[in-house]
Amino acid sequence: MKKTFIFSALLILLLGGARPAGAQQEVNLLIKDGMPAIAFALPSFAASGPAQAMAAEIHDVLEADLKYSRIFQVLPKSYYAYIKTLDPRSIVYKDWESIGAAVLLTGEVSLAAGGDIVFERNFYDVKSQKTIIPGKRYQAKKTDLRYLAHKTADEILKAYSEKPLFTSKIAFVSNRDGNDELYMMDYDGANQTRLTFNKVTDYTPAWSPDAAHIAYMSYQQQTAGIYILDVYEGKRTAVSLRGGNFSPAWSPDGKKLAFSSTFEGNAEIYVADIEFGPTRVGRIRRLTFNPSIDTAPTWSPNGREIAFTSDRGGTPQIYIMDVDGSNVRRISMGASWNDSPAWSPTGDRIVYVARVDNLFDLYVYSIRSTSFQKLTETNARNESPTWSPDGRHIVFTSNMKGGTQLWSVDLDGANLRPLTAKGDNKLGDWSN
Amino acid sequence: MKRIMILALVCFTALAFMSACKAKTQPTPPPPQVKEQPQAEKFVPPPVTKPALSEEELFMSKSLDQINKEKPLAMINFDYDKYVIREDAKPILEGNSGWLKKWKSVKILIEGHCDERGTEDYNLALGEKRAKSAYDYLTALGIPAERMKTISYGKSQPLDMGKDESAWAKNRRDQFLIIEK
Repeated sequence: MKKTFIFSALLILLLGGARPAGAQQEVNLLIKDGMPAIAFALPSFAASGPAQAMAAEIHDVLEADLKYSRIFQVLPKSYYAYIKTLDPRSIVYKDWESIGAAVLLTGEVSLAAGGDIVFERNFYDVKSQKTIIPGKRYQAKKTDLRYLAHKTADEILKAYSEKPLFTSKIAFVSNRDGNDELYMMDYDGANQTRLTFNKVTDYTPAWSPDAAHIAYMSYQQQTAGIYILDVYEGKRTAVSLRGGNFSPAWSPDGKKLAFSSTFEGNAEIYVADIEFGPTRVGRIRRLTFNPSIDTAPTWSPNGREIAFTSDRGGTPQIYIMDVDGSNVRRISMGASWNDSPAWSPTGDRIVYVARVDNLFDLYVYSIRSTSFQKLTETNARNESPTWSPDGRHIVFTSNMKGGTQLWSVDLDGANLRPLTAKGDNKLGDWSN
Repeated sequence: MKRIMILALVCFTALAFMSACKAKTQPTPPPPQVKEQPQAEKFVPPPVTKPALSEEELFMSKSLDQINKEKPLAMINFDYDKYVIREDAKPILEGNSGWLKKWKSVKILIEGHCDERGTEDYNLALGEKRAKSAYDYLTALGIPAERMKTISYGKSQPLDMGKDESAWAKNRRDQFLIIEK
């Protein structure tokens, strides 16, 4: 079964686009070209008594993470019925190989003193019969089961030199409690937490690279200013309060903040030095000089270029400039309205919003081939895209099901799913 | 028969006589005394001489909220993805400038708004441009710059939640909020 699965996956790779429609659901290919997903065995975790429900929760969250990764193909539970029940102390690797497993994760959950739980996990390569990463025991509170699962999934990603994804956070704006305030949530929409508490509108959050601070705009005292919020201490620092200030974006090293401001009269892009950590603002430098709108900056991951929106050609279009403001070139074509560029963490793509026939859809621009591809097609308004840390997923705002909600989609258009439901939710920004 | 008639007559006469006598003995009640009413003096309260509020005093007595509710400054609209002042907006801005020249202490916030057919980022900048256009126009009409401030709300505060051109046309606007007087 598994052999044919791998074979068909290879076949599909060879055939390129000409894949049979029926195979599409069965085969989950890695987005990274040329490598099929790794067959992952994740049998139920050992537990007894009240620990069983907790073991099940950790297992299910971990399974959802692995599926979302697009790197692993989690084996169907039914396969495990064909082999002997797992004994973590003497694993019969031949059995696991026989059902097509490439890797195996075993887990055990038990209760510890003080109401905590202990989770022990081991991760094996089935063929070589060796552990891929050293076994580990965690003690955690019962309320942190999801986090424990995400942490485990991130360790697995790291073992494959992938960027951790599952403990990342998505900041966003919601009006669920009255007016627009900042919130954050887990990558999968769980643990939605309010971050700002005031009567004014807080808008366009942007995570610092260390995911400890959020730069955002806030309408304090009838001024659209840019502030930095220390997420875990709650402290707030003002960056720019003169004129109107929009669309903050951190440099990849976290030492600079690009934003658009009208403090000299016209909407231009500026870069502020956040020299002494994110609580003190240093020199502010201007990068654009023309009478049109320049806004929505986004940094290339190497920090050398900035993509942005400008209407200098008559309509809003996406441009790239060097980080000193020189060498400006336009990249978006076709549509009469292009905006909200977001540079992928892998550096080779820029996702942006284009308006065609009154519909807004996401397009992915490839820097190498200078071509673009439509990502969403939902007959709605899809906007404000933000990349997952690994560049395989995109979260965006859409009104496709009425209301305004955050949605997640994979780079190949698969796995479209909503993340929010309460109130209107928008302007997501995914942490590193 | 005749006798009965005579008897009845006698009886009648007797009764009549008796009742006449009785009436005589009854004293006639005194006529009701008519008390002389004192002449009611008409009380006319002295007219409360509310000091006639001058227009200015009246204006100053109102709260900012009240003044803003009266909408002394009309809003102006814009074309899609445009921030140039339209011809139909010019007389409105001239009217607004006249009012601002009359009330010289007033300071205003010019709010730029956009319709939903734009993206969040660009609309924030576009709203600011629209506010700035009115700011420049009013400056040219002689309103000192320090009396005006601009802000953009992008598409976050639509007036009309409709999904058609008439709603969008209303939402692409500048509003003038009085923030000081």
